[in-house]
Amino acid sequence: MAKLDGKKILACCANGAGSSLMMELAIQKVTKRHNIKPAELTHCPISEGQSAAKNYDVVFCSKAFAANFENLGGNTVVIPLKNVMSDKEIEEGLQAAGLLD
Amino acid sequence: MSNVLERIVAKKHYSFINGKDVSWQEAVRLSALPLVEDGSVDSDYYKQIVACIEKHGPYIVMEHNIAMPHTTENPIGAHRTAVGLMICENKIDFGQDTDGEKKEANLLFTLSAVNSDEHMENIAQLMDVFMNYDLIEALGKCHSAEEILEAMKKYQTSEN
Repeated sequence: MAKLDGKKILACCANGAGSSLMMELAIQKVTKRHNIKPAELTHCPISEGQSAAKNYDVVFCSKAFAANFENLGGNTVVIPLKNVMSDKEIEEGLQAAGLLD
Repeated sequence: MSNVLERIVAKKHYSFINGKDVSWQEAVRLSALPLVEDGSVDSDYYKQIVACIEKHGPYIVMEHNIAMPHTTENPIGAHRTAVGLMICENKIDFGQDTDGEKKEANLLFTLSAVNSDEHMENIAQLMDVFMNYDLIEALGKCHSAEEILEAMKKYQTSEN
């Protein structure tokens, strides 16, 4: 079973209407490619994401917003992305976090 | 489903400017004008986009000098889901991001999101455009609607 199966994934950007949607689509490419079935994959604006993040296993955000997710506590893994459209960068981030082989 | 670039052309949601010495605030205002023209957004819709960039920084400027000015879904002053494209001969300076990286853009894809399904389709198709670097390079050199369609046909991939 893949390590991301059953995990909850959140993509965050300032408005929850632009780059977070692109992240969600790029994450979908990765989960499909590796046949991973997350329990949840969704997006939201930073204003909601800051409090919601701790309820997710993995949070993706553009690197400009990484500081918003410091000191979350718990086991949430935060993966900041330079290019929110890059499925390659998402794969590398997940591999670095030990969530993808 | 038509292509997002075809929809931009069909709805006359495109514009071309020189861009020299144009501030990013003015560029955002100009980029929204074609959407104002047909009532997709109100004339002061752009002010919310400017306020958002002032608050969060130029994160809307992506790789390859593409900017995607937008606000939230269903913002005040937006009436239809739409994408505007403004092509600038000279890059617009959006300042620096939190890492001190200089952010510039010559292609402004300005969004209005009212219907979530339509908006998601726009975002998905824009992603294909943004990742098609030959097409992006060609779009930067366009000066007419015909040239936009030619570039699209020449460089569109099978994924589109």
